[in-house]
Amino acid sequence: MTTTTQTAMTEQDQAVSRHANDTGEQLQLVTFEVGDEEYAIDILTVQEINRMMQITRVPQSPPSVEGVINLRGRIIPVVDLRKRFALAAQEHGNDSRIVVVEVRGRVLGFTVDRVNEVLRVDGSIVEPAPALATGASSDYVRGVGKLDDRLLILLDLERLFQAAELDEVTAAARNAA
Amino acid sequence: MAFTGDGELLQDFLTETAELIEQLDGDLVRLERVTPGSEEATQLLNSIFRALHTVKGAAGFLGLTTVTTFAHAAEDALNRLRHGEAQVTSVVMDALLRSVDVLRSMTGALAAGEEPPLCPADLLEALHAVGTKTDASLQSNKTTVATSDEAASCGTTHPLELPEQKRELLSFMIDDWRSSTEQFDACLRQLEDQAQRSQAAEQLAQLSESLARTADFFELDAFTTLLSAVHDAATRLGGVGDHSFAELLIRLRAVHWLMNEQTTLLEHNRVGLWPVQGLAQHIADLAAGQPLNDEKLADHRNDVRTLLTLEGVLPSDNASAGASDSTSEPAQTTNDNTNVSDARSTAGRHSAAPEATIRVEVGRLEALMNLVGQLVLTKNRMLALSRRLRELEAVAPDLSEEVAASAGDLDRLTSELQVGVMRTRMQPLSKLFDRYPRVIRDMARITGKQINLEIIGKETEVDKSVLELLGDPLIHILRNSADHGIEPPEVRRAAGKPEAGCIRLSAEHQGSHVLVQIIDDGRGISRELVGRKAVERGLTTEEKLATMSDSEVFQFIFAAGFSTAEKVSDLSGRGVGMDVVRTNVTKMNGVINVSSVPGKSTRIDIMIPLTVAIMPAMVVQVKDELYCVPLQSIVEIVRPETTQLHSIKGRPVMRLRDSVLPLVDLDDLLRRSPYALPSREGQAVAGTIAPTGRRCAVVVCVGEQRAGLLVDRLIGQQEIVVKPLDDQSTHGGPFSGATIREDGQVSLILDVVELLRQAGSTVERKAA
Repeated sequence: MTTTTQTAMTEQDQAVSRHANDTGEQLQLVTFEVGDEEYAIDILTVQEINRMMQITRVPQSPPSVEGVINLRGRIIPVVDLRKRFALAAQEHGNDSRIVVVEVRGRVLGFTVDRVNEVLRVDGSIVEPAPALATGASSDYVRGVGKLDDRLLILLDLERLFQAAELDEVTAAARNAA
Repeated sequence: MAFTGDGELLQDFLTETAELIEQLDGDLVRLERVTPGSEEATQLLNSIFRALHTVKGAAGFLGLTTVTTFAHAAEDALNRLRHGEAQVTSVVMDALLRSVDVLRSMTGALAAGEEPPLCPADLLEALHAVGTKTDASLQSNKTTVATSDEAASCGTTHPLELPEQKRELLSFMIDDWRSSTEQFDACLRQLEDQAQRSQAAEQLAQLSESLARTADFFELDAFTTLLSAVHDAATRLGGVGDHSFAELLIRLRAVHWLMNEQTTLLEHNRVGLWPVQGLAQHIADLAAGQPLNDEKLADHRNDVRTLLTLEGVLPSDNASAGASDSTSEPAQTTNDNTNVSDARSTAGRHSAAPEATIRVEVGRLEALMNLVGQLVLTKNRMLALSRRLRELEAVAPDLSEEVAASAGDLDRLTSELQVGVMRTRMQPLSKLFDRYPRVIRDMARITGKQINLEIIGKETEVDKSVLELLGDPLIHILRNSADHGIEPPEVRRAAGKPEAGCIRLSAEHQGSHVLVQIIDDGRGISRELVGRKAVERGLTTEEKLATMSDSEVFQFIFAAGFSTAEKVSDLSGRGVGMDVVRTNVTKMNGVINVSSVPGKSTRIDIMIPLTVAIMPAMVVQVKDELYCVPLQSIVEIVRPETTQLHSIKGRPVMRLRDSVLPLVDLDDLLRRSPYALPSREGQAVAGTIAPTGRRCAVVVCVGEQRAGLLVDRLIGQQEIVVKPLDDQSTHGGPFSGATIREDGQVSLILDVVELLRQAGSTVERKAA
């Protein structure tokens, strides 16, 4: 991962000089995959990235909440992003990780299929998400970043986890219909 | 003037003042009840005065003019009460109690970093009006009469005569004198320890020097002489031989004793006239290495009073005379100076030896407690590992033995540490209970009722977190009792009860729990009324109601928004309070039970664990998951035979000895989800308990309600450290928290109250 980061940064340095007169806003992102999509979140929100560990199920919690884990003596909830994005369930594999983030003082983890890299990109490559492609329920998408042939979906963690419960009830109802 | 002083000093002031305000509240309410002019009334007045005075002094020191001016006015009013120039009437008490409220709001503003509000003018007037008819001449006859016989026991005294500007400072001086006297005592004790001697001597030198100056300023000539001698002696202590040192020490103790006496006298504006020249001379001689010139002077049998008689300070017939007055009577065993200061501190409750306690920021204790929690978990893991090691054949037996032994030590030490840290967090319930007389007094004034609040066991200690959670519930219950429970005097008279109602608040330890009881002799709770409201609000049905016990019905009063009051008053009746009661009690893993005899009494029992951070629990297995059931809720554990299983009205039950016990299939209940769609709920087949294998029924009890929780397997009993499960995405289920197991995995702690509630409501739903 380190090597990728470094290459990314060299590329980025060039990008900075190219866009010196543009917005100049630097974004440092952690990218990961859930299903077929690649997502990105601000690195500052990430506390740590862990290998899969035993997750204790919490009955009667929202379906997308996989359960709780022991993070060095602290009990934190873990959200299954596959379920949150209403994707087909899949066993966690070798590459699965638990990303621990802090959102507004709340510490929680979420499971992803794999973590890719740490990227530094220029803010100018991020565009608002096209409304049609994402649909009404995905207001947790902050924008879409185009990077060569890759498409990064930037997530708004606060919205992603804040409205979690509400969304799921409706999502579950939709699925059942 | 905005306050610009030292933040830390201000913080200290606020903390101390908050405590004093609590004390003032309690003392004032008590004052209203005791016989005027009685010993107790005098003591209360003094204690109130002292507290107010301390506030004033500290505020003056910090330049908080608003507070000082106001406290001064209140103090003046109080002083007139003390001197019998005004009577304790409810008007006076209202003014004084309001003063406490004003003080509270002043300190509140200061804490918030704001300018303290000015005292309401009408209150100031009311305070000034207290007993002003007789004018504020401090030397009223009464004082002199009262003190003359007290003073007789310890030599001649004369009234303190000071110019006006010094008199102003006198009250500061008394406090200063008192605390210096305690420091003096501490120095003497340190002197006895060879290792600390030189340091203590240095302190003593400084202390006596400043005390001598104070004595000089206030014209306490005896002490100017004595303390100057002590100062000189203290600077030369190094060269004193052992024998002389002992003689010197007893004389220093004598000085301390006299200082203590003077403290009492000062409060009565009197000065002791002791012939101390001889004593001062002997102190100087001994310090200079000269032996005593008269052998008789060593014949004091290490008794301070005997010595003082020998030295001619006290009249000779006085040494053996046991004075009867408690305020001037030093403890009988005067050879032990601690006793003397103990006797003093009972007289003035808040002058306890300052070096015995230190203030610690709560955050530090919390951090310590968290660490201990972690340590307990690590210890549990160590124990588990050492057990596994012992089973391994590849490991040398002596090695595994040694590991087991260290793990055992770790276990023991951790337990001791845990108890120790927990005890630092223990606080007496008086912190809460002392506020209630005021609450009840105000309630009584507003409602026009007569209510006596009886408090028992306020010294009972509980964990700080428990104390915090218990505060609100108790206020709500007491208000309810006063407002709805106790009847107006005319109703009570008609019912043949004494006009004054009685609320008894008691607390006692029961094992690792505290039982708090609130009993009133009011009109009781009407089962019919509560039942009717419950049905109206859709909390239950008529049929269900008929099968419920009284205490089950009374549990409805704890439902959110439940109120049987016909009209909402300022005090209670909005139905919000009792909801808080149950929520908080449940948070503490406690249980609450209500019983009532209509027309006679209501009793509320609250049973709470001493601490909420660590508790014993039974670990049970349900399918693949492990859960913890607080041991406190468990009555027994049984293994039902298939023949014992039945169902009543579609509700699974088992026969347990002579009674019928409702059963809750935990697996079934926990699989239910508020997020699941109605169609999926069919999988839980109502009323049938599949006797898979031989499951255990953990019989739990909430209030009077009992039920058996069906689990697959019992793992065993454990001390668990409770961790909050408070994230918005995980709370709401029937769990009171989570804990970390020996292997580092997380287990959820079952909230039995919520479990039974859910079990009850589903049965109801199915029946409907």
